Amino acid sequence: MDVWNYAEYGAWALSAVFAVLIILDWIKTDQTYSEEVLTSSREGELEAMTEEQHRGT
Amino acid sequence: MADFDITSKERDGMGPHGTNVGLLRVLGPAHVWALGVGIVLVGEYMGWNFGVAKGGAYAALIACWFAGILYTCVAMIDSEVTSTVAAAGGQYTQAKHIIGPLMAFNVGLYLVFAYTMLEAGNAWTVGYLVQTVAGMAGHSGLSDKPFIVLSILFLAWLNYRGVLATLTFNLVITAVAFISIVILFAMTVGNHGEFSLQHADLMSGQAALPYGWLGVLAAMHFGLWYYLGIEGTTQAAEEVRSPARALPFGTLAGIMTLIIAATLTWWVCVGLMPWEYLGISGVPLFDAARMSGSQFLVVLLGIGTLFATLASANGCINDASRAWFAMGRDRYLPGWFGAVHPTYRTPYRSIIFLVPIACLFATQLPLDQLVTFSILSGLLEYTFMPLNMILFRRKWPLDTIKRGYEHPFHPLPALVLLALCAVTFFAVFLGYGTQLVAMIVFYIVVSLWFHFWRYRFVNRGAQFTMPWPRPKGY
Amino acid sequence: MAKYTAPIQSKASQFIDVIVILVLTIVTLYLPSWLKLAGSSVVHKTVDNPTWDSLGQNATMVAKWNQLGYADAASAADTITARFDYSFTAINLIAMIVVIVGYYVIILRYSETEYRDVIAEKFDGKEK
Repeated sequence: MDVWNYAEYGAWALSAVFAVLIILDWIKTDQTYSEEVLTSSREGELEAMTEEQHRGT
Repeated sequence: MADFDITSKERDGMGPHGTNVGLLRVLGPAHVWALGVGIVLVGEYMGWNFGVAKGGAYAALIACWFAGILYTCVAMIDSEVTSTVAAAGGQYTQAKHIIGPLMAFNVGLYLVFAYTMLEAGNAWTVGYLVQTVAGMAGHSGLSDKPFIVLSILFLAWLNYRGVLATLTFNLVITAVAFISIVILFAMTVGNHGEFSLQHADLMSGQAALPYGWLGVLAAMHFGLWYYLGIEGTTQAAEEVRSPARALPFGTLAGIMTLIIAATLTWWVCVGLMPWEYLGISGVPLFDAARMSGSQFLVVLLGIGTLFATLASANGCINDASRAWFAMGRDRYLPGWFGAVHPTYRTPYRSIIFLVPIACLFATQLPLDQLVTFSILSGLLEYTFMPLNMILFRRKWPLDTIKRGYEHPFHPLPALVLLALCAVTFFAVFLGYGTQLVAMIVFYIVVSLWFHFWRYRFVNRGAQFTMPWPRPKGY
Repeated sequence: MAKYTAPIQSKASQFIDVIVILVLTIVTLYLPSWLKLAGSSVVHKTVDNPTWDSLGQNATMVAKWNQLGYADAASAADTITARFDYSFTAINLIAMIVVIVGYYVIILRYSETEYRDVIAEKFDGKEK
């Protein structure tokens, strides 16, 4: 076992952490909000909303 | 143009946010330039050199310049349509309004696959780079898979949390990657003893044009890789201050930057490596740095490669998931994908869905095949563009809709583009014929699936969200 | 024309559609490569007892190969002799042209019929 072997395991572990973070938030979001709210976006609106988010409103 | 009510429920294109749009236009031409170059610059760090394998060093350079012409046509055509269709979704929205739903479905898939395969190629390169560095440090047999998966998942997470926060960071690392190429060029020209550039000797005899002129044609296949993704600048149409000026300017400046970067890259790489090796290299610029005899350059180009791949993959996840999301929102794909995260405002389900696909292809296929899938999807898209342009001018002549930008010499750029696309199809056919057929079969099958099954879930008139008059002849 | 109201798709049906797309992607794009049917058509010319000379490498090239870590001609022979097979028959070429042109014809024709529906519903049956 040298440092590169540890790096391999470390990379797997970090990948798992990111996967778990995404999946947990996904489940939480789907349970918190109704499907109507989540899919209420229409063409041309998404950019508007991301920008609002960006400006911190 | 017919006047319309901005609060109308019928025009869901703008909705209640429509009144806000004026405030959102914050980007200038420099941002457009940086956005385009950010996704594409990785093409100089990997992939372009497979063109050397297909036709030799000279062929790769000729292909690079011809591909430059192809992309100039793409930029001109795209600028005119985009300055009129100023909506996100880019070419997908254009196709929906100008050609029809099935074409739009295909164009959406082109975007998703071109970007997802490019993302897979980027992740593959990260894995290969780590492997190479480990090899230089004396460790053999390192698996590249954990590093591939890690880079995909990390960037997916970043995108999930909202990509705008990372965009500035992206621009900085792109700049570093670009400057690295210039420094590499500056430090390798001139006499460096055994580490000098030796074009004359390396390109003499059989190495000049190993496949003759047919090789030049064949190299056109990977010539596209120098620029693939520059058309993504149109995705910024809604956020640009003055699309009419910024989009053509930023995109064309981006293409010029890439032509310069590509030519410098070509010059340094073919002067340092025999073409047979260069043609199969996974990380050509990093290899060039190793051949330069300078430890500083090895570190710099290693960082440059890593940065370029991450910046590009980041942009790819963003664009691919937006396209997938846009299709879900119109019910071209299951409506479940049309969801936006209430806090992060990202198309989170689309981001998640594309992660395993990218992982599968990145860990299982060799780089040249990933690149070919990406190029083929791009090529199908560029073939669609001249058709789109000709129909756009026919259905809405210049006096019916005011364009932000009118490209000159119509229909010449469209016809040149169509001819260059035909040449490139033939180039892919040479050596990668089965992949070409596999890809087209895929698109034919999904098209039939869409037309005969999927389209029933799509509302007809509501998809047309532009405030345009009725097209001519309908 | 009458306004078309799309049916609401059930969760199960949506799920099946996702699976269909996934299966299509994997079967047509991944399987051919996995079965080694696709990919680059590279052939290797076998050279017995290769020397740098017989491989057509001049002194500069040999120096570069050495720098790259290929100590002798035998180790680099496989890389150097790899060549794409660009031979094709007229039938292959015609088949490819038919597939590509046919693909665009199918799309444009179906798109056209769908597009007429869209335009009719969008611009007829409304006051403006």
